[in-house]
Amino acid sequence: MNAIYAPKRLPPQLRQSSTTRAMMLDVIVALTPALGMAVFFFGPRVLTLCAVSVASSVAFELLYRLLTRQSLSIGDLSACVTGLLLALSLPASAPLWVPVMGTGFAIIVVKQFYGGLGRNFMNPALAGRMLAGTLPLLMTTWPQPMQRLSSAAVDAVSAATPMSYLHEGVLPSVSLDFMFLGRRGGCIGEVSAFMLLLGLGYLLLRRVISARIPLSYLGTVAAVALLAAPEGISPPVWIAYQLMGGGLLIGAVFFATDPATSPVTPRGQVMYGVGCGLLTVLLRSYSSYPEGVGWAILTMNCAVWLLDRLGLPRRFGIGNFAATRAALGRGLRNLSEIKFVRPRLNLHIPRPREGQAPGEAYLDLLRSGLKTAGPLAAVFAVTCGVIFGVHRFTDLNTARAEIQAQHEILTQAMPQAAVGAETPYRAAGAMSIIAGYDADGHLLGYCVEVQSQGFAGPITMTVGVDLNGAVTGVAINSHSETGRVGTEAMTPGALARYVGRSGTIRTSGPNSMDAVSGATATSKAITAGVNRALNIVANLDTAGEINYEDTQ
Amino acid sequence: MAHSFFGGVYPATRKGITRRKPMARLSQTSKEIVIPLVMCADGPATPMVRPGDPVTVGQPIARRGETGAAAHASVSGRVSAIENRPHPWGGLSPAIVIQNDDRSEPYSGHMPPMDLRRLTLEQVVERVAAAGVVGMGGGCFPTWEKIARSAGRIDTLIVNAAECEPYVTSDYRLLLERGERILRGAQALSQCLQCERAVVVTEGDKLNAVEAVERRLRRQGGGRVQILPVRTCYPLGAEKQIIQTVTGREVPPGGSPLDVKCAVFNVATVYAVHDALFMGRPLTHRAVTVTGGAVTRPRNLWVPIGTPLRHLLETCGGLREETDRMLIGGPMMGVALTNLDAPVTKDTNSLVCLTSWEHKPDIPPGVCIRCGKCVAACPMHLAPTIIRRALEDQDLEKLARYHLEDCNACGCCSFICPAQIPLVETVASASLLLKRGVAKQ
Repeated sequence: MNAIYAPKRLPPQLRQSSTTRAMMLDVIVALTPALGMAVFFFGPRVLTLCAVSVASSVAFELLYRLLTRQSLSIGDLSACVTGLLLALSLPASAPLWVPVMGTGFAIIVVKQFYGGLGRNFMNPALAGRMLAGTLPLLMTTWPQPMQRLSSAAVDAVSAATPMSYLHEGVLPSVSLDFMFLGRRGGCIGEVSAFMLLLGLGYLLLRRVISARIPLSYLGTVAAVALLAAPEGISPPVWIAYQLMGGGLLIGAVFFATDPATSPVTPRGQVMYGVGCGLLTVLLRSYSSYPEGVGWAILTMNCAVWLLDRLGLPRRFGIGNFAATRAALGRGLRNLSEIKFVRPRLNLHIPRPREGQAPGEAYLDLLRSGLKTAGPLAAVFAVTCGVIFGVHRFTDLNTARAEIQAQHEILTQAMPQAAVGAETPYRAAGAMSIIAGYDADGHLLGYCVEVQSQGFAGPITMTVGVDLNGAVTGVAINSHSETGRVGTEAMTPGALARYVGRSGTIRTSGPNSMDAVSGATATSKAITAGVNRALNIVANLDTAGEINYEDTQ
Repeated sequence: MAHSFFGGVYPATRKGITRRKPMARLSQTSKEIVIPLVMCADGPATPMVRPGDPVTVGQPIARRGETGAAAHASVSGRVSAIENRPHPWGGLSPAIVIQNDDRSEPYSGHMPPMDLRRLTLEQVVERVAAAGVVGMGGGCFPTWEKIARSAGRIDTLIVNAAECEPYVTSDYRLLLERGERILRGAQALSQCLQCERAVVVTEGDKLNAVEAVERRLRRQGGGRVQILPVRTCYPLGAEKQIIQTVTGREVPPGGSPLDVKCAVFNVATVYAVHDALFMGRPLTHRAVTVTGGAVTRPRNLWVPIGTPLRHLLETCGGLREETDRMLIGGPMMGVALTNLDAPVTKDTNSLVCLTSWEHKPDIPPGVCIRCGKCVAACPMHLAPTIIRRALEDQDLEKLARYHLEDCNACGCCSFICPAQIPLVETVASASLLLKRGVAKQ
């Protein structure tokens, strides 16, 4: 008792019991229910993916820290969390090298290059996942739930995710209770809303995260969904599908709340959540992808610095009114301090130095000026030369005429259309398929370029077909018919007879058309071409939209 | 409860160790009593006795000179020396040492009790100054000055019985056992301060004390005095936070409670004021909680001021376990004790001996993961992690914008940080850097 008890630590002597490591462990625990449900739906392959992802993530972290001779940081478990989150945001059918590539990018580029834990400005797991998402086909094939992939082989049957339906403004075929439990297509971790909510509850109870970000995020999405529910769908149902569809829940609970990449100030956190929500809704409705959670969170990650400053707590003892006035005053003062400095032209006249001829100083000036301006002038000259050359050696008139002819053919084949756009569709017999749109951007129909055998050679023509399957016009691109004999069938009058026809046009019987006398073979050839075009359009997707299937 | 303050933390209170133990007098007072001359925030008092003089209980032995507060002998005996002795605030400071003769002879020149109905402000100020009453919650601010300054300028008198520090139960036992005197003291104070109401604020975990006070208030008609139980949250007992909780007003930066028409008195101070006014007793005793996992028989004690802490610990049976830190004044804001020979002063409310298992082991600070818990916990609306980043960059311009002078060192940020970053010290050193930087310019 005679000992002098020197303080080892300044006050406060009590600390709350949590540590960084314990927080990370809590996140892993909170992810376990979702992982378990995914194993139930998609089979043991999920575990393989997670194991590969976590192992590679830890390995990359260890390797980087060893190579750069920094303290080892795998003990804080943040690398494990990154690996697990990345795996949970992949489809169960993803090849095993995908998580390895994703974690490599996440850990080394996004996290460690910026100084490690707490200094990265973007969520590493999400950045890695979005990189993987740029790979073709990977993020467009989703295994069916209950398909139970074995741990090694992948033989996935693609299933549409609910998000691709919601993107179109229709309800998916999956019922709400299946959405809630997770029996639907999607990424490993995102399918089960119930399990994710369990995780959220755990994180809130353990005070690992505050409710500000998830609640403001989900609340914003729900509010916008309430306002923008499509006609014929009851708003509560639409809200439920929007909240449970895609990666919104896993994003709001696990990705947006990542401490390092979300604001530290309470008000900033609310603004961040609202921003994520608005961006998500915007991307879901107007982007070409059906899902927007990932990009929304990554975008808001970049705005954290600003939100932290905006969200700084008001000074204690200053009323809200005074605080606002002070902030406005500060802004005004800053604005008034902006001074417009007139650019000064450096026009000093060099004096000849000792032993120089009177004009020599100017030569020096010129030389140094050339040194700086030289490269710029060179680039300018080369650019001018290239443009002149291209202009000189391009036959602009022919090119313009070609475009003009194409436009004329489009007008002839589909007079209503204002814009034509080449489509990526390929169909047997069609040389090209051009979609026609009116001035407001509504799809009117397709112009199909077909070929058929005429009297003297092949006839190339463009047939316009509207969405009802009726011909809007026929234009002849090229032919080798001669004299009056063949061309008789190509007069505007003869071609106009096809307008409004649909189905298969025959030479006799119902839906028949008489051949133009004197040009029977040509006439038949054109009719055959029109029939072929009608047939091609009839077999195209009637909705006419390109069906991307993707979430996030 | 209409108001609350922003932030705060919820440490485990561990008050159960001593909350059911009645305040006990020492069975054996210490042979040697050490009364430091420094027991007031503004400086040392002037001694009135010489070595060899006999003293009796309550006899004034030091008076207020330029600075300091009057001090009184808490036992009877003989002054043996006036010399430098260890002080609980750290270091050595001059003190009057009294050899106890164990006879407890009362002082003959007692001050006459006053009448509640015929109090004047001058009388009260004079009496409180003569009794040497200072802020007993830890501030040690001269109470008579506070009374004189706030008379007629406040509308709410707040009696702070919140006791938000973990472990400490001395104010709670005082309120439970001597509630009547405290209410009477509060009434007297509110009367001479001419305020509309007096509020006794206590945390909700002291329900039987609340019930006892409420019963008394019902029985005798409290007049302006009322009791307000508040949800337990650290640092409710801090002056600015308790004002905000009771009235919703925020003390402006750099201002004092008077700016929002409030005055805050600790419950023990109010008790001492009551004794001085109505019993003619100067401040010679106070309640101290001796607690912590390392103490054999933790308890609340009513001890003469000047008793060495070692004696308190021996009264409680000594240590049963190795302690790795001893604290005065609770584990959140309390200072670590460096010498057990230091005596109980007027602001010593507890002696806490923590074992190593009672608090998180010292692990080196990790990296900040920007979880933002410190910002959400700071009751003074600061952003410790952002301040820390600016300090790392040595960016004086930025630091000047973050209102470092508002920090009241409550320790919420350090408490909550999962990476064990000592944020209170960070803010303190940032503030120091800023002062130096400004001085240099």
